[in-house]
Amino acid sequence: MTSKILSLFQLCDSNFPTGAFSHSFGLESYIQEDKVHDQESFFEWLKVYLHEQLIYSDGLACRFAFEALLEDDLHKVWELDRLLTVQNLPRETREGTQMIGKRMLQLTDSLYEMPTLSKYKEEIKKKNSFGHPTIVFSMVAHGLEVTKSEAIQYYLYSAISSQVQNAVRAIPLGQTAGQTISHKFIPEITGAVDRIMQLTEDDFGIVSPGIELSQMNHERVNIRIFMS
Amino acid sequence: MTDWTGVLSLDLEERRGKTVAKNVYFQGALKVMRPIYHDNSGQVCYYLLNPGGGYLDGDRYKMEISANEGAKVTLTTQSATKVYKTPKSFAYQETTISLKRGSYLEYLPDPLIAYENARYKQKNVIHMESGATFLYTDILTPGWSPSGTRFSYDTVQLVTEIHLDGKLGMFDHIKLTPHNQNLSGLGFMEGYTHLGSMVAVSENTDNALLDELYETIQIEEADFKVGISRLAVPGFSIRILANSTQLIERIFNSCHKIISEKWTNHTPNSLRKY
Repeated sequence: MTSKILSLFQLCDSNFPTGAFSHSFGLESYIQEDKVHDQESFFEWLKVYLHEQLIYSDGLACRFAFEALLEDDLHKVWELDRLLTVQNLPRETREGTQMIGKRMLQLTDSLYEMPTLSKYKEEIKKKNSFGHPTIVFSMVAHGLEVTKSEAIQYYLYSAISSQVQNAVRAIPLGQTAGQTISHKFIPEITGAVDRIMQLTEDDFGIVSPGIELSQMNHERVNIRIFMS
Repeated sequence: MTDWTGVLSLDLEERRGKTVAKNVYFQGALKVMRPIYHDNSGQVCYYLLNPGGGYLDGDRYKMEISANEGAKVTLTTQSATKVYKTPKSFAYQETTISLKRGSYLEYLPDPLIAYENARYKQKNVIHMESGATFLYTDILTPGWSPSGTRFSYDTVQLVTEIHLDGKLGMFDHIKLTPHNQNLSGLGFMEGYTHLGSMVAVSENTDNALLDELYETIQIEEADFKVGISRLAVPGFSIRILANSTQLIERIFNSCHKIISEKWTNHTPNSLRKY
């Protein structure tokens, strides 16, 4: 394993303080409705979340941003940042993602002197961009010269791993159950990466109605442990 | 372009308190009926219709609508949009709406019914200036097949883009492919059959309005699920999962009444269809 991949791992680590663990992205709504209540029902939710929402938004954007960075087309990157933000109709999920993105940008900018990161900060400061973790991740991966498919794979892994830890706390599930899910989910992630490589611009931002509705509904959940 | 099955363009302006068309053009399988003024508010209502009675294989429809400052308009359809089987090429409808500051446009079409093996793609692109108001609803039914099987269509893809002062402010993309998805399952339709969406963009959006809409929706007793949330630009969207068109229409009508009274001081008339 190269040190570059290890460096990217640092961003996927649960100790990396981006605040991602405060967001369930609608999972908490399903838990409160008792639709997600055990290992099996959570696994089912996780599959829909990955294959029907994440690949068309964060996953595909990670690939497009990486490709734009390879071509030095920052204009395209800013377009993706906007598209990712405005297609995220549930307010809490949108604002939560933006918070995570900004925090991740702050941290990575202080770790790496990458010009793209500081330009991204400037765009956000000028209110032209919003901030999104998949864009930051892509920038760091590109800067570290990791391959495009590795970048997407690690990004998805980190997004899924946060959700598994959230489920362990919130359903709750045992630690072993959590690890079993993460282990069993690896082929789902690699399958998602293959799928993302085959998608086109016409697929961007497809949402799954139920997942999205649960994210909107979280605004009206009374007792909560997550911010979204 | 000559390869459109139906083309329609409609440019509206306000003249002495009344919204009138300064240009109406239609050709092929799209038609607009004579303007209707439901009351003395000056707001005009246009019924759009597809004289062919449904969208067929490879059909392509294009609508371009604009509203100048002060124009107030309701657009609706005369009946449901029906998409029949499309063995060779999908049916396509593209609508572009341009709204100047101070205009009000609501586009409230009847539901979409996609028949067995139908493929349909719809793209709505809205360009608006701040100070304009836009309201849109759509209802997606489980379609229709001779055997009564639900979700027997091949693909329904609905894309809506709203640009505010030249910048993308909302992007919505629904694509349902029942053969590849467990459509009635968790995360998709959650066991329901109909999907309703409403989106509104206006500077007058506030949290009090969202609360009022939410409370009003909760009065409905039938079984449904609803989500309502503010957009990245001033505005909001609503999603409803339910088991009938009528229920979604009833909820949207109540919301429409509240929005219309708050934003235009105008109580909407029911859009009677014949």
